[in-house]
Amino acid sequence: MSKLSEYWDAVYSCMGCGDCGYAIHSAIGKFKSCPIKEVHESPFEVYFARGKMRLAKGILDGRLPLSKELAEIIYQCTECGACHDTCHQTHNPNINLFVTRWIDHVEVWEALRQDLVKEGFAPLDQHARILKSMNDQSRLNPYERELSEKKEAISNLSGFVAEGTSEIGFFAGCTQSLMYSETLQKLGKIIEKSGIKVCKLPNEYCCGSIALRIGDMETATHLMEQNIKYFQDLGIKRIITACAGCYRTLKKDYPKYSDKELPEIINITEFLEELIENQKIQFNSSEPISVTYHDPCHLGRHMEIYDPPRNVIKAVPGVSLIEMKRNRNNAWCCGAGGGLKSQFPEMAVDIAKDRISEAIETQSSLLVTSCPFCERNLTDAISQDAEIKVIDIIDFIYSRI
Amino acid sequence: MDIILEKLREIVHKSHVSDTKYLTFAYSQNVDPILEGIPDYVAIPKSAQEISEILKLANEKNIPVYPRGGGCCEFGGSKPIGDGGIVLDLKQMDKIINLDEDHLIVTVESGISWAQLDEYLSPFGLYTGCMGPGSGMTASIGGGISHHSVGGGGGAKYGACTKQLISLEVVLPTGEIINTGSQANRFSKIPFGRFGNGPDLSGLFCGDNGILGIKTKVSLQVFPRPKFVECKTFQLKGNTARSAAKIMIEIRRRGIDVYDAMYIPDIVVSVFKSEKVILPWIENKIRRGLFFYTIEAYSQEELNEKVKQLDQIFEENKAKILGPEISDGNIARWHYKEQGHWQLYHPLWGLTPTSEPCTTECFVPIQQFPSLLEAIEQWEYEHTPEMDKIFEVTKVRPIVGSGPILLLGENSVEVTCGFTTYPHKDIREINLSLWKSMIDLVTKMGAQWYMMGDICSREFVEIGAFTPEYYSLLTNMKRILDPKNILSRGKFKLLEVEK
Repeated sequence: MSKLSEYWDAVYSCMGCGDCGYAIHSAIGKFKSCPIKEVHESPFEVYFARGKMRLAKGILDGRLPLSKELAEIIYQCTECGACHDTCHQTHNPNINLFVTRWIDHVEVWEALRQDLVKEGFAPLDQHARILKSMNDQSRLNPYERELSEKKEAISNLSGFVAEGTSEIGFFAGCTQSLMYSETLQKLGKIIEKSGIKVCKLPNEYCCGSIALRIGDMETATHLMEQNIKYFQDLGIKRIITACAGCYRTLKKDYPKYSDKELPEIINITEFLEELIENQKIQFNSSEPISVTYHDPCHLGRHMEIYDPPRNVIKAVPGVSLIEMKRNRNNAWCCGAGGGLKSQFPEMAVDIAKDRISEAIETQSSLLVTSCPFCERNLTDAISQDAEIKVIDIIDFIYSRI
Repeated sequence: MDIILEKLREIVHKSHVSDTKYLTFAYSQNVDPILEGIPDYVAIPKSAQEISEILKLANEKNIPVYPRGGGCCEFGGSKPIGDGGIVLDLKQMDKIINLDEDHLIVTVESGISWAQLDEYLSPFGLYTGCMGPGSGMTASIGGGISHHSVGGGGGAKYGACTKQLISLEVVLPTGEIINTGSQANRFSKIPFGRFGNGPDLSGLFCGDNGILGIKTKVSLQVFPRPKFVECKTFQLKGNTARSAAKIMIEIRRRGIDVYDAMYIPDIVVSVFKSEKVILPWIENKIRRGLFFYTIEAYSQEELNEKVKQLDQIFEENKAKILGPEISDGNIARWHYKEQGHWQLYHPLWGLTPTSEPCTTECFVPIQQFPSLLEAIEQWEYEHTPEMDKIFEVTKVRPIVGSGPILLLGENSVEVTCGFTTYPHKDIREINLSLWKSMIDLVTKMGAQWYMMGDICSREFVEIGAFTPEYYSLLTNMKRILDPKNILSRGKFKLLEVEK
């Protein structure tokens, strides 16, 4: 039985109204939904949710086959979840729409991707390269870097205590430990100053997010099992992560695939908010500055973490937080998610350019975010002479203490 | 390569045309559970000129062409009737060409959505008045004009959206591009009026369901959005349908220009409560049909006077007002202030997983709608065996009735009757038969259809609802404009013998 067939109700509950592609609902701050549709050079229906749901119906009733051609379409999606949010768009606590009870768009896309992988029509070439690296025992990360590099980067973090000496662990993730280790060093200093003991986890495995998004369940479940065992062996009760992708995966996906007891998972923005509330962070700069905040999809729409990052930013003296036109659940995706950045990099950057333009409209000096994938893709899209700079929330807080 | 595909690629950008099975399949259905038709090709034109070239090619090769706006038709209007043909996806033609702030006329490409246009007009303090159809966040202006659309707000004050029409640019089925209204005069500098220069040929394309031409540019009258607004919801007593009709007639008699006035039938209230759609109605123990109005004014004094007169009508009809907030059940406030007017019909979908309505959307005189609702109740009773069969297969019994009933500018109301069903293969024929049966009933009660699409336009002809003389005139007009029956072939069964 196909994975997609488990979502028959969801697929056939889509009536095809098309708001997932076109909605402009200014009363609730919604200005269009699908980033792929907006940048695609061939703007056919299949490049937003309504068309994909129509294809899913065709697959379920046996009229459309799975194929490589189909995979090329299905993977042109960031899985940002804006279609899902739009489908649920009354956003008034007093009013619920029936149809939205039955559909979780991202779950449908992931089910379809799992079927494509299972039947051998996916992964696509760049995704295959990533998965190969994730399965290579000498690497176990998506970036074709040696496993020892990641271990060394985590082991060298200062400000954290040694593995096994605290029930609070820091899950560094592949992207931040291999690409943004300086940011993690700054986080170590923030944590050290707070006096809270958070241990390093140098033997962590990749969280498996990328494999999950691509639909390779074999790779993903193997990584998940290793991590869960690692957490249990160390007696970890609480995990902090600064990567939105790791956070979504550890908190939302792990419980779906494991019945073992899992640690509490918190995002770095929640942790920083706690530190600020408990006066464990002292700011020493109150220089006026305007910043805007980009909601990472894996943190915002997928996990509804909207207030903690804003509370953290607003707590910094001298900071004026100016929201972009589309924010919180209506935020425009950066374009990096769902494997788009690796397989369709130009499209990912085109999407990010839209987001950068929106940030520039706020006349802010900094575009703060809390996701290494967003940071990277937004940085790739920014012009060198732009008067706005993309920065992770950790780097930003560190710059003010 | 397929010769047609090759030629289409010479006309539109090569990345804007396809014949692949996945891309074409996505254009095979609209917003209904039954009707399908897979096109051979989909093209996404960017200009009237490109459309003209495609239509000339279609005439040369005898290929039907189906224009598609937002794809929101509930009667299969923007997909092929039968498989094959070319679907033209017009949504990329979404530019705002000009806003004439002196004369309050906006000119747009026809693929723009009602919501997108409203968003553009808002900073100017303007709006379109009638906000198009209930699907206005996706539905296009061109599609609205092709269907006399209503339902997206403002229907009571402004009427169907075609009332706001000033002029059109239309590509005729044989490829000629014409302009109507004031723009029929080649010396006219700006669109400013619909009527004059001979017969109203704009009207020929209004509500034509896409059979006589493809609208590519639309000039609409726009209006200053009044700053003073009141939204109220009332609980009705007794026979709520008859009470609602009486209130609507009284509003019209007193000449009060309500922006929206809507009756929410007992069954809708009941279902919305049982399925926890509108939570305050549960908390406030609402049991029967409701009525809401929205009234606009340009000053507080004007608003107060209008509200006073309206409230008097409700008092005379023993209606009980709900509290002012959405949390009090005042649905009118959500409808207007939070643009719920583009979502009010969404709850007709998905009552249970995958359930979808087969609807009959039409206009009837105010006085007549209670009888229509009663006839629908009787219809349900008469079709118990079919309902039982649907239940047997799906384990869920269809819900039969009408959605909210909306007062229109022409002293009529929009009624959306229907029954919920499922896209299950084993009940397809029952669904189709029931749907046609309901269309027949509503038509024979004298209703006027606006969105007719595949099923309704054909059924209307099938049961002989047009007088022979009218149908003959329509056929002759089609023959003159579209001798090879290229455009929206199959609708109204026009020229089928010739085909």
